[in-house]
Amino acid sequence: MIELNELTDAAQKAFPADKLSPERDESWNLAAEMGWLMVRLPEDDGGLGLGREASTALHLEMGRILAAMPLIPAQLGLQAVAASESFEDRTEWLERLSSGDYAPLNMLPARLVQNPDGTVSGTISGVFEADMAVAVVVRLPNGYALVPLDAQGVSRVERPIWDPGRRIFDVVLESYSPASSLMLTDADTASSLHDLLSAEAQIALAADCLGGANAVLDMTVEYMKMRRQFDRPIAMFQALKHRAADMKTRIVLAEALLRSRVRDEHASVTDLASAKSLAVEAYRFVTEESIQLHGGIGLTEEHQCHLFMKRAMLNAQLCGSTDLWNERRGRTAFAQLS
Amino acid sequence: MSETPDLDQLDLEGLRAEVRAFLAADAPSGWREASATQEDFVRTQRDWFGKLVKAGYAIPHWPAAFPGGGRSLSEQKVIYEELARADCPRLLLSFVSTYHAFATLHECGSAEQQARYLPRILEGETWCQGFSEPGAGSDLAAIKTRAERKGDVYVVNGQKVWSTMAQFADKCLLLVRTSSDGPKQAGITYLLMDMKMPGVSVRPIHQIQGDEEFAEIFLDNVEIPVSERVGEEGKGWAVAQATLASERGLTLMELSYRMRGALSRVARLIRDHSHEDDRGILRDFGALVTQVDAVCALADQFLDNRINGIERMGDASIVKNAYSRALRAYSLLGLRLGGIEEQYIAPITFGDLNTGNWMADYMNSFAWTIAGGSEEVQRNIIAERMLDMPREPKGWVA
Repeated sequence: MIELNELTDAAQKAFPADKLSPERDESWNLAAEMGWLMVRLPEDDGGLGLGREASTALHLEMGRILAAMPLIPAQLGLQAVAASESFEDRTEWLERLSSGDYAPLNMLPARLVQNPDGTVSGTISGVFEADMAVAVVVRLPNGYALVPLDAQGVSRVERPIWDPGRRIFDVVLESYSPASSLMLTDADTASSLHDLLSAEAQIALAADCLGGANAVLDMTVEYMKMRRQFDRPIAMFQALKHRAADMKTRIVLAEALLRSRVRDEHASVTDLASAKSLAVEAYRFVTEESIQLHGGIGLTEEHQCHLFMKRAMLNAQLCGSTDLWNERRGRTAFAQLS
Repeated sequence: MSETPDLDQLDLEGLRAEVRAFLAADAPSGWREASATQEDFVRTQRDWFGKLVKAGYAIPHWPAAFPGGGRSLSEQKVIYEELARADCPRLLLSFVSTYHAFATLHECGSAEQQARYLPRILEGETWCQGFSEPGAGSDLAAIKTRAERKGDVYVVNGQKVWSTMAQFADKCLLLVRTSSDGPKQAGITYLLMDMKMPGVSVRPIHQIQGDEEFAEIFLDNVEIPVSERVGEEGKGWAVAQATLASERGLTLMELSYRMRGALSRVARLIRDHSHEDDRGILRDFGALVTQVDAVCALADQFLDNRINGIERMGDASIVKNAYSRALRAYSLLGLRLGGIEEQYIAPITFGDLNTGNWMADYMNSFAWTIAGGSEEVQRNIIAERMLDMPREPKGWVA
């Protein structure tokens, strides 16, 4: 627990709450220096060897400040390499990625086909900050692989996105010939790596959502205490106060589920994804309420409300939507209970 | 304190096995069917309470001097988890006796009052609570029932309402007004009243789902001996706080676990109506399962915090609002999936949240957003105590 507090304290010092979306490259260097890329990497591999709770604590803080750096896809890419048993250059790549080279995991499904000659074509969507990446970790038809961005047949196309704190790219493969030396798994073991990465992704995204939701709530309550209408602060009006109470309730509820699932070693991907679904729904709810409660200024570009709302809506689309996970949750629960 | 956490854990698992063994042998079955009438309900409740007292699981929160008492919060949690898992009847009829009456007597009662009443509770004496009034629900300090001292007795006149199961009670925890001077919390006196006293009449309240869980109590020149007063005259508000604070967390944990167990009823509806492949319905079911799981995690967290001595103002309000909203969503999905069948009136189980009749359960879910401090009062507490938002100005008049 001391480690967790230290991590939280360090994050709050390095990224103070009053500065949203600090500059990406500067943040990235700072995070790499502090070892945050290696939070979940085992100590034997030169990492910090911390558990899921540490990851949660860190991403909560990054969610709070709407971090612009791609810590989540970087952590997942690094974990993919670390989890690979057959990868020849594992040690070398772990060193490179731990010290700041960036190889993200894509956060949306890739649409790829294997051509008759063994090459791969198609689009890898949702690659964060691909402009600073050396490679991308992706599930090819024959297994997970590192795809270097300077390889032949690989190009990137930026897809301008509403969330100004993120840059997102399609990585396009045209008859790309995967190097066997860069394969992380074969086709058979790809699913188990997918589940491992998906589980970590759900936790990280849920924490990011709840950090953001807490920041929005704080900001909104602060505003409601200061803003006066009809000769009193609007925070005094019960109709508005109750909305703030509901925001708090949604956040605390989602936090409780996330914490219990993070502690549960037997939690399935669906269990963790349910926690993410609840967190992302809470984030959406809180940002919607926040814009409304800020009145006209909540609708302006100058104010920060929209930044959180855009992040909430983006997070909702990553690593499986709420609809998808609710349906899976429903199916598994039905199978267990009926 | 002398034990390591691992030993504590072993003890808890030992207790769990013990409770499970008891329940495997003695848990009542078919009690829902056997509780179709109020008389049957009272009989099954008394019977089950007696068995639990004998087994040592009815009053784990009482001091160790009582049989089965002296359990830690962690141990109490294990007992309630197991009772919920085995789908045993909730101890509705003895709830006020073992929690509210006990806490009041234990913390504020005289030695003589304790010696007289606590053993009787274990023998099955049933208590109710005469707090709320027609003009004083969540605003409890606004009570108007008058008590005038005449020699050795208080003569009480007035009306109480929303008294849970007062029609079956032997005794009543009664708040009365002995003075109207000063702030409205002052001048309240706390009495213990025999429900058989001349001048006491009880009228059950017919709820929207046909149940009679609550009752009104009418008090017409009831003479209550001064020796039945708890605490000083005019200082009853502080005693009432002890009563109200007697149950913090365990009930909502138990109820949340029971709701999670009852999700299988929704799953059965999905199967019976051949909705297995309806993606929309599976989505809604998945969202409900997640919501209920979250409420269980929240209730757990609240109790774990209490076990570790962390209690923050507002936490209990959040648990209550989260639970009551999940209960609404749960019964509403059941009602929706059940179709027209649920609109036909079927015999219901008295005093249970899972009656087997979704319309009844849905209607009863409103009791949870209203009773015990309405959802709106809880929201005020969350906003004012947790988010530090300003209170409404004082002296506000409608």
